[in-house]
Amino acid sequence: MSNLQTRPVLGEPTRYTFPKPQRLQVGGGTVVAIDIPGQPYAAIRLVQPAGGISEPADLMGVAALTNEALEDGIHGNSSLAPSLERHGAEWVSRIGWDSFITGVDAPANRIADAVGLFAEALRTPALRDEDIVRRRDQLIESFWLEASVASTLAARSIGGQLFTGRYATPLSGGPAGLHELTPENVRRFHADSVASVAGTLVVVGDLSGVDLEALGRTVFGDALATPARHTVAPDPAPGDLPRILLLDRPGSVQSALILAHRAPARSQVDLPKVEGMSDVLGGMFTSRLNMELRERLGYTYGVGCRFDLRRDSGVFVISTQVEAPTTAHSITATLEQIAKLKDEGATEGELAAVRESNTVGLPVSYSTAGRLAGALVESVVHDLPEDHVDRLRAGFERLTADDLQQAARDYLHPQESVVIVAGDAETLREPLAETGFGPVEVRDPETLWAVPGSTTP
Amino acid sequence: MTSVQQGVQRLVTTTNGAAKQITQHTLDNGLRLVIAPAATGQVAAVNLWYGVGSRHEVPGRTGFAHLFEHLMFQGSGNVPKGDHFDAIERLGGDINASTSSDRTNYYETVPEHALDLALWLEADRLATLREGMGQEVLDNQRDVVKNERRQRYDNIPYGTAFERILSHAYPPGHPYHHPTIGSMADLDAADLEYVLSFHKAHYGPDNLVLTVVSALDPDDVHERVKHYFGGIPARDVIAEAPDATLEGPIGGPKSEVVTENVPAPAVFLIYRVPAYGTREFDIMQLASAVLGQGQGSRLYRRLVVERGLANDDGGSAADLVNFRYTPGLFFVSMIARDGVTGDQLEEAMLDEISTLADGISEEEMERARAVLERDHLQSISTPGGLADSLGSCTQLFDDPTLVYTWPQRWAAISTDEVVEYAKRLLTPENRLSVRFEDEEAPDADA
Repeated sequence: MSNLQTRPVLGEPTRYTFPKPQRLQVGGGTVVAIDIPGQPYAAIRLVQPAGGISEPADLMGVAALTNEALEDGIHGNSSLAPSLERHGAEWVSRIGWDSFITGVDAPANRIADAVGLFAEALRTPALRDEDIVRRRDQLIESFWLEASVASTLAARSIGGQLFTGRYATPLSGGPAGLHELTPENVRRFHADSVASVAGTLVVVGDLSGVDLEALGRTVFGDALATPARHTVAPDPAPGDLPRILLLDRPGSVQSALILAHRAPARSQVDLPKVEGMSDVLGGMFTSRLNMELRERLGYTYGVGCRFDLRRDSGVFVISTQVEAPTTAHSITATLEQIAKLKDEGATEGELAAVRESNTVGLPVSYSTAGRLAGALVESVVHDLPEDHVDRLRAGFERLTADDLQQAARDYLHPQESVVIVAGDAETLREPLAETGFGPVEVRDPETLWAVPGSTTP
Repeated sequence: MTSVQQGVQRLVTTTNGAAKQITQHTLDNGLRLVIAPAATGQVAAVNLWYGVGSRHEVPGRTGFAHLFEHLMFQGSGNVPKGDHFDAIERLGGDINASTSSDRTNYYETVPEHALDLALWLEADRLATLREGMGQEVLDNQRDVVKNERRQRYDNIPYGTAFERILSHAYPPGHPYHHPTIGSMADLDAADLEYVLSFHKAHYGPDNLVLTVVSALDPDDVHERVKHYFGGIPARDVIAEAPDATLEGPIGGPKSEVVTENVPAPAVFLIYRVPAYGTREFDIMQLASAVLGQGQGSRLYRRLVVERGLANDDGGSAADLVNFRYTPGLFFVSMIARDGVTGDQLEEAMLDEISTLADGISEEEMERARAVLERDHLQSISTPGGLADSLGSCTQLFDDPTLVYTWPQRWAAISTDEVVEYAKRLLTPENRLSVRFEDEEAPDADA
């Protein structure tokens, strides 16, 4: 027979304070670093502002293509990765709407070697015609390969439903626009927005024996200080809201389902209130949407929601994949959960969960070099103070149930939403219309990105 | 000595120091405990490896070990449905579980002060899950798992590839013939009585490796684990796994061509290799790294960059499936570029695979070792990742220090050995091909 103990009562957690980073001005750039003794792998990231939103209107996708082409290195022909691989290091790069991120993950005792290779690839890449054309054509083919997955297809079509301008086309560009990009476009974008801009270098890992100033000199060279940025709020897409876009994917046994609407810029919201409310609705396993759609109804493997907050605007997205015949009810059940949160607010238990997970849980959130580097990158991209993690923690500590309900009322707008379904149109059109949510438009996914920048009906 | 070899030695020397900081205990009820220090403070990573996986399933009961993993979150004697997830999530903890052919894994990384709660929750579902189980939660989680299957297998292009490969690579009735997710029909047939008997058969402390990675004193951690788990009795009867022995090559060349709605032709080439943990497995892992891991690998350089036949996968075209208790699989997969047929791609892949037998340069081997070592070190660079690897090496090989010394195994393998084993194993009689062709392409069944 088992001899079991009673449930333990938790003691007081140790208060978490985000490590204070070292900050160094080197030439035109800034090095921001956190030392974690004993951490064998270091995360090194250069943050520059050349993200998707900075692209010229006729060159959508050039940031993504440039980012990819850097991997061909100073000798071209995909030469960078093999050089890094020999040092046990790995190239890391991605673009955001507001940022152009490059860097390496490297063993702590190889930081200098890896950063040397990284810096020359970033500042003086070969950018040969044949490499750029190969990367471009692969990017276009990958676009369709990835869009053959229902959830990716649905997610990529959000921008065109909510915005005009740059956000209407996916971050990596649409296939038609990418097709028009030339090697010269890439070289120009690289020269103007990457090679000549110092940026901010984030270094996290065991820094014993690491000369941060030398790293800064290697990466920044004589590049100029990062220019100030201007943001202009984007215009909405035409057409009445709410509405349903049904992307036909014949024979799908599951529907990818998204509900999305516009949201304010990150700097315009009180983040703990907005993210806390989002956690209650769909940001955790125990959130209302997951408890309803997965744990009670069994319609899905999982559902989540989040605010994607940028410098000039934002998007709120709920996304899930549901068994095809439950698609319409999944939408109405989701709308009911939103209405209930707005009407009745959050419970004290939910408030405690949100507050504790975002305060007590911080040591878990920042238990890896990658996560610490991510927090520093975020502070650079959004011009946040270096103690922004501690400020957020203080904001969550102050949070009340009223705040969460008010945030639901202020920031959840199902009547201004578009619902996107990637699924079998023949069987879904009628049940979706019967939800009464809004008019249903059926599209063939292949027509979505046929003309550069044109994604709206 | 080359710079890479020096690098390997330096890293291994560093990690050997860490190996000495591991402590191990076996409780009276058979529970194996591994304790190791974390690089960052204020967290405790708890990881449980139970020695049960889909290899224990019998025909008609496929998918059961994984369905059962879901049920472990649905409440136990003293924990209501949903409370385990809720308790850990509200601490900001990372929590999840996974099932494979060989084992079932549960984990949570929590703030240090919550270690006792994590241990108690795990102990409660180990000891009393059967008291919390009912038909309603079984029906609900069956629906959830069926949706997981749709999401991961049935509703994505090439989603059934691995299921098809297993069905050809292991004979009917063999415990690795089916994937962990199981079939829809078997999931439908799962009943409550079998759930209860499954827990009784496989979930005992004597079938568990528990790992804790934290900055806490190891003696303190040992005492806490004894406190929560020490009173749980071992199983009365030790469940036997079905016989998974398999000799010889795969019985090839075998092939299946699947014609369905896919965006481009895809080719999967599979070879049978010795089990995970053998030196021969390590040798073939180096061969797979030379061939298809990283952008310096042969397949990437030749078929992606030079010949433009395959889509850019970032350099992850080859790998090994690491089954511990039966021969594993050498796995090569690529997707065709526009205008390239499945036939052309398959032929080009076979050509590259055959070049391994012609020789490998020292430079290629150094790169391959560095890539494998990098992936290994990255996987243990987080508290949760380290705990998982320690649990794995203890459950599968009874030696947690392997986590720190594994790169030495690759360093001790010569280029000649890799070439020799490539010659011996990458042969037509040991080969299986599964190819996907687009049903809308004009020459789909050419």
